[in-house]
Amino acid sequence: MRQNRLFFTCMEISPAILLLAALTAGCGAVSNPALEQAHEAYQKARQDPLIVRNAGAALDKAGRTLEAADRLWTEERDVVEVEHLAYIAEQRVEIARTIAQRRLAAEDIQQPQPPR
Amino acid sequence: MGEIDLANPTLSTTPRMPAPIKQSLLCCLAAFATITFAACSTTKPPTEKIAQADLNVRAATEARAADFAPAELQKAREKLARARQAMTAQNYDDARRLAESAQVDAELAEAKAETAILRRAADQILRRADAPPTEAERESRKPLTESPAKE
Repeated sequence: MRQNRLFFTCMEISPAILLLAALTAGCGAVSNPALEQAHEAYQKARQDPLIVRNAGAALDKAGRTLEAADRLWTEERDVVEVEHLAYIAEQRVEIARTIAQRRLAAEDIQQPQPPR
Repeated sequence: MGEIDLANPTLSTTPRMPAPIKQSLLCCLAAFATITFAACSTTKPPTEKIAQADLNVRAATEARAADFAPAELQKAREKLARARQAMTAQNYDDARRLAESAQVDAELAEAKAETAILRRAADQILRRADAPPTEAERESRKPLTESPAKE
């Protein structure tokens, strides 16, 4: 009876361990090149005060896409979807950069003679 | 499959425990199945995303992206066309990704075109401002401000 119980507990626990092992398998510090590249572009834009000041909302949008890509990468390792989101994030960084330039041009038009 | 072969011997060797063991095995199987098929579960046709991408491409075209951001606009148009093809082929995941891609490409095309147009206008104004004001300009500025205009 005791042996049976021991056997039973083992049988019940082992699938849980297996499941955990399967889920965490390969969850080391493996990086995705496309995701890394998107992170770099985003960080570069974050360090540019002109973009942060003039296109903050657009840059935040890029950041949120990047967060979603990171989450998907650590949780599911879905390469196709992660690389897709990395592309979207990078384009959003570029949109933010362009919006900042647009704002500067608009300011130049409104104040044709800025103080020098 | 192997799981059933595994379960059967335990059934015969330990007659008192078959039900719980069988249950736990079934639970395990169900969990694996859920994880395995989670990604492939009923993907809906991304009709709205394609409509949105279409709107963005139209907006970019109206912003004269064909003149000022031709590469981005072309990319957006191609992806939108491919998204529609994927939709017809019922590859809904591909269709969604292509539509989302087309959308940001079109947004970038629109922003680039608007920026280029504004930049050109701003440069013209700045160039004019850098040049000494004409007689007419000096005259027109005087009555607008109470104190003399700063140079």
